[in-house]
Amino acid sequence: MKNSIKLAAIICVAIMFVSANMAMAQKAGGPWTVPAKYKAMKSTVKAGDASINSVGKETYNKHCKSCHGAKGLGDGPKAANLKTSTGDFSSAKFQAQSDGDIYYQSFIGRDEMPNFEKKILDEADRWAVIMYMRTMKK
Amino acid sequence: MKNVYITLRISTLTLLALFLLQTTAFGQEEATEDTIVETPVERPVRPAFESGLLFDAATTTLYPSKTLEMIIQHRFGIIDFNDDNTDFLGIWGASNIRIGMNYSILDNLTVGVGATKFNKMEDIQLKYRVIEQTRSNSIPVTVMLYGVAGIDGSAKSKWDGTPDSLEPKYKFSNRLSYFTQVIVSRRFNDKLSLQIAPGFTHYNSVDSVYNHDRFSLSFAGRYKFSPQGSFIISGDFPVDIESLKDYKKVDPKTVIYDRPNVCVGFEISTSTHAFHIYLASAQGILPQEDIMWNKNDFFKGEFLIGLNITRLWNF
Repeated sequence: MKNSIKLAAIICVAIMFVSANMAMAQKAGGPWTVPAKYKAMKSTVKAGDASINSVGKETYNKHCKSCHGAKGLGDGPKAANLKTSTGDFSSAKFQAQSDGDIYYQSFIGRDEMPNFEKKILDEADRWAVIMYMRTMKK
Repeated sequence: MKNVYITLRISTLTLLALFLLQTTAFGQEEATEDTIVETPVERPVRPAFESGLLFDAATTTLYPSKTLEMIIQHRFGIIDFNDDNTDFLGIWGASNIRIGMNYSILDNLTVGVGATKFNKMEDIQLKYRVIEQTRSNSIPVTVMLYGVAGIDGSAKSKWDGTPDSLEPKYKFSNRLSYFTQVIVSRRFNDKLSLQIAPGFTHYNSVDSVYNHDRFSLSFAGRYKFSPQGSFIISGDFPVDIESLKDYKKVDPKTVIYDRPNVCVGFEISTSTHAFHIYLASAQGILPQEDIMWNKNDFFKGEFLIGLNITRLWNF
């Protein structure tokens, strides 16, 4: 009898675990439509600039890390609650995008990805964040 | 009456000086743009503080226009180290709490309202940034004007006195108190920011043996030790000026409310929140209450646990 109760409890927990994970299953984000104005943008912060590991890292940690994770893998503590996958900044696919593409996705945003124009005000600070994301390449 | 005139004169001269300073700064910018075409645009420094609030103090950090900020400030009761205390470090003691909303009308102008538990205070606040520190250091500091008008919502009987009292009866203006401050801050580097803020407090109505006016000098600082964590400190020091005192000789039995409000704690900031956990000596929360009515001496172990949370929404 005791074993039957244990078995039932284990099955219940297993069902709850599976259903919770099914409910949390995230869809991949669809393709971004980046306006030409942003597509043509080039980073004003060059690779190796001192601001990348100071301003870029600090700003990324404050505004981005909670969803995108410390290394951009999309494993931040808030990521699991999102309907859409946050992507992987270390992937070749992400890194192949132009500066302007990443700028638009990062600071203009859409749907669950918030707009950060009023939170990161300075243009050079935004580019420092993007260049910091470039350092996450595997 | 003479004291009021002196106060008004000082306030007017301070405001005039600040507006002249601002006009001069703008004048130089325009002249430069006219004569030298390729002058790089002056960029303001990043904000000196993570939030517009540091404990109970205002900082020079303002948010872009159309930003709404909600503030919750909580102060537990005084920590009692006596063996017979039953209030668990003040957590079960009488607490004070304020909820407030600030809205940025312009990038350099924010208005706010709030309500505080003690004395049923309601308040209206205004912050106006006069000049902003630049990265080139052409302007070395940020200067902001800060004003708070408080309305004591206590029952009318608080001001009525006894039926045979010679004191004047209740008037709405009895409820009002004011706090004005000029805040000067400097972000020295990515880790260290400091600010100094002379202020003036006025209560329209006080108990018979207390003064209506008080100058103060406030200091605040933060040292950032991690991307989101900072050590923060502040102090509001009353500056009593003899000529402003209504009562020169105070009865020694009277409770003296002239202790500085000292706060020490930690700040954790995220994209949309700032959290403060700290020890503070005053329990008033509104600056005029902290400066005018604090009898706790931080350095004698008379302090309380405080918690603040702020939340931002951009529109």
